[in-house]
Amino acid sequence: MKTSRKWILALLSTIVVTAAVGCSSGNNNEAGSGSASPSPSGSESAPSSQAASEEPKPDPVTFTYFNARADKDVETKQTDIGKILEEQTGVNFKIEHLVGDINTKIGTMIASDSYPDILQPDTAIDKIMEAGAFIPLNDLIEQYGPNIKRVYEPYFNLMKAEDGNIYFLPFSAVVGEYKPNPVIDQGAFWIQNRVLEEAGYPKVKTFDEYFKLIEDYAGKHKDEKLTGFMSLTHDWRFFATTNPPNHLEGYPNDGEVQVDLNTMDAKIYATNDGTKRWLQKLNELNANGLYDKSSFVDNYDQYLAKITSGKVLGYFDYGWQVQQANQTIKAETVKNGGDDSLEYFPLPIVYENNIKDQYIDPSSFINNRGIGITKSAKDPVRIIQFFDNLLTDENQRLTQWGIQGVTYEVDDKGRLYRTQEQIDKLKDIEYKRQVGLDYFEYYWPMYGQGSTFPDGNSVSAGRQPEVASASFTEAEKARLAKYGVQTYAELFAVPDDRPWYPAWSIALEQGSDAQIYTAKKVDVQRKYFAKIVLDPPSKFDANWQEYLNEYSKLPVAEYEATMTDEVKKKVAKIRGN
Amino acid sequence: MLKNVEVESSVGRVPPARKAGLSLFLSRLVKQRTLVFMSVPFILWLFLFKYVPLWGWTIAFQNFKPAKSFGEQQWVGWKQFEFMFSDDRFLQVMRNTLAMSLINFVLGFATAITLAILLNELRAVAFKRVVQTISYLPHFISWVVAATIIQTALSTDGGIVNEVLLALGLIQEPVLWLGVGKYFWGIMGVSEVWKNVGWNTIIYLAALTTIDPSQYEAAEIDGAGRFQKIWHITLPGIRPVIVILMIINLGQILETGFEPQYLLGNGPNLDYSENLEIFILKYGMNLGNYSLSVAAGIFKTVVSIVLLFGANHLAKRMGQDRLF
Repeated sequence: MKTSRKWILALLSTIVVTAAVGCSSGNNNEAGSGSASPSPSGSESAPSSQAASEEPKPDPVTFTYFNARADKDVETKQTDIGKILEEQTGVNFKIEHLVGDINTKIGTMIASDSYPDILQPDTAIDKIMEAGAFIPLNDLIEQYGPNIKRVYEPYFNLMKAEDGNIYFLPFSAVVGEYKPNPVIDQGAFWIQNRVLEEAGYPKVKTFDEYFKLIEDYAGKHKDEKLTGFMSLTHDWRFFATTNPPNHLEGYPNDGEVQVDLNTMDAKIYATNDGTKRWLQKLNELNANGLYDKSSFVDNYDQYLAKITSGKVLGYFDYGWQVQQANQTIKAETVKNGGDDSLEYFPLPIVYENNIKDQYIDPSSFINNRGIGITKSAKDPVRIIQFFDNLLTDENQRLTQWGIQGVTYEVDDKGRLYRTQEQIDKLKDIEYKRQVGLDYFEYYWPMYGQGSTFPDGNSVSAGRQPEVASASFTEAEKARLAKYGVQTYAELFAVPDDRPWYPAWSIALEQGSDAQIYTAKKVDVQRKYFAKIVLDPPSKFDANWQEYLNEYSKLPVAEYEATMTDEVKKKVAKIRGN
Repeated sequence: MLKNVEVESSVGRVPPARKAGLSLFLSRLVKQRTLVFMSVPFILWLFLFKYVPLWGWTIAFQNFKPAKSFGEQQWVGWKQFEFMFSDDRFLQVMRNTLAMSLINFVLGFATAITLAILLNELRAVAFKRVVQTISYLPHFISWVVAATIIQTALSTDGGIVNEVLLALGLIQEPVLWLGVGKYFWGIMGVSEVWKNVGWNTIIYLAALTTIDPSQYEAAEIDGAGRFQKIWHITLPGIRPVIVILMIINLGQILETGFEPQYLLGNGPNLDYSENLEIFILKYGMNLGNYSLSVAAGIFKTVVSIVLLFGANHLAKRMGQDRLF
């Protein structure tokens, strides 16, 4: 008995001691890494950020970067581009990407008050700002960022928070002449090539013409189990189903509102006749068995899988959102010996012939997305120097075009281009990751998309005409020629100047009526859109009325007032400087 | 697990002290010092992780902003609770939470006990093992994967459920199961059973092994059949375990989980799938309103405590074993 008690005591004390040691050793580790990484010698030895190779190499250091988009996690030094940047600066980033819900992830960071060194919080940026997680960059830019200043200075007014500080660097500061994208990465009504081909490539402009084409084709091929039209409703991507009426009425993607060009009044369109007409059409398609009922149930992956299946004749979506699916179909095309009849063709569809389409984004500065340095950062100076070093012409060419001779070539006139082989190779996402283009071409301080180098070359490889037209197949070029154009973008109208654009980037105050409106309206629309579309047409009017009643309970007026106010403020900021 | 239950109930039966007083307490303390010493780390743990965070409840009465220190927070009294209880959706959310909970509760117990008894009656050991393994395999699949399996099974193009029902002629055209709100609770109930029934039987199977075989023999001599033995010996034998588990589970009735509803929920079934957790996520975390999240958490705790004490009291009144 005595001995067993002693044993128990001994055991217990061992547990307690180990626990204590465990905890304290953990602390030691943290303290150790904390004190090791600031490495003052490194930051002082690189006075100018154009750290050339002849200077003594700065101490290697690894920072953490959380990027709130889905991709494979990586250490930048494992990529070709990251390796070169590490040689220049000694800085390596461990990039972690988003898995699951962004607000949960960012919310956890805020609650625990621990952040990665740098952070790209995407849509959750307002919360990060409110939590005071980013450090002000003004002094750092002044002291260590000549290039940052060169690129971003024209936009400083827009980048400043209420308190006059700059907390993060957006991705859309255009340098040089602005070039719109020759490929459609924005909204469009997409239609399968085979539908156009069978109809003899007619001009399609209006809503009715578009759906007539689809109905006719589906009518002629009844036994192929085709889906006429479908829409994306999953989670936050639901806007792909609520936005179309806005575009059909000739407005660009300003989010929830249509902003009048002259008065700059913001009005919601969720309850107007345009939305009613859109839903009525979907309802009619559904009644005729042409609409994919599962649209309201499927998740994003299932949606993409359906696009790649080739059974869907048309859909509305934004190019960047279906890029992955389109690439998969392209790969299929190559396997099928170049038959691209299952690929999709983007069309700027509007309600009436006299409406000018506004699908293409105007040149815009998006000031509520960006990358910032957090208060957990161990060595902000090294980071800002790395950022600054990224913003040289050479390094922009590196991060946007890749490595000369490997992912791009230069002809004797100094024009940058890619060979067909390079283009094909870069379609492989794994290869793109390995080079590092996938990780570096966006979500870093950068020359905004559409920028041009002083020598006239486009900064984004995709906007270089040589690359854009080289990436079209012969069949594509012939098809475009039938419409009298060389690129898809030429089918679309030139965007009007909208200095406030995009209104969706306006930050709403936490807990305000306007913010609660945005949360609640999604629920109302989610529920009623499904009901309105899926119920038989006889119930359409009653359902629509019910939806309007439900909607009228939301603080619409407050939201519109806030948006109008903010749009005007933003315009004043830009114009008044 | 079972041992714990027995220890606890025997501790509970210690006769109340006759000559109460400080001296008795102290002498007991000294006598049981080893036990006391052993429990210190766990009491510390309990205090640190369960009681200290209660300080955070203050957030519910503030307009909490993470960047500010405690002194700078704005106090708003019961505003968060008012917002919560006055929101139309909240009633619906509570209805969904309770409905799904009750369905899980009833189905969970009924199926687990039934399966445990059926397994117990099996004589072929190999078959029993196979059934057991298969039935608790789904427990180890994460909900993300399970939700995809369920979505695929219920899909309108080629989903097994629709295919089978069509083949049997029970429906004329494929049904969009996840697109009809009314079906959602049923789908959740069946999915939960599929996922957890095997796992839940384990504790009952363990309890069954403690029943004295001589009772069965005696019953057999008295001429009891199989069903009579189940009814008069097996079920009463595991009754204490059932009651204790029921009490514990009642305390968690507002915890319907988050993942299945979040992953399987969509526009059309929103009115039936949105539960308390999702409500908190939408209007609390997603809007950066941490105060509302905490207020909802407090509400949940209060309901749980009431239910737990209520069930325990009821068990006491009915002369059953109980938690405390």
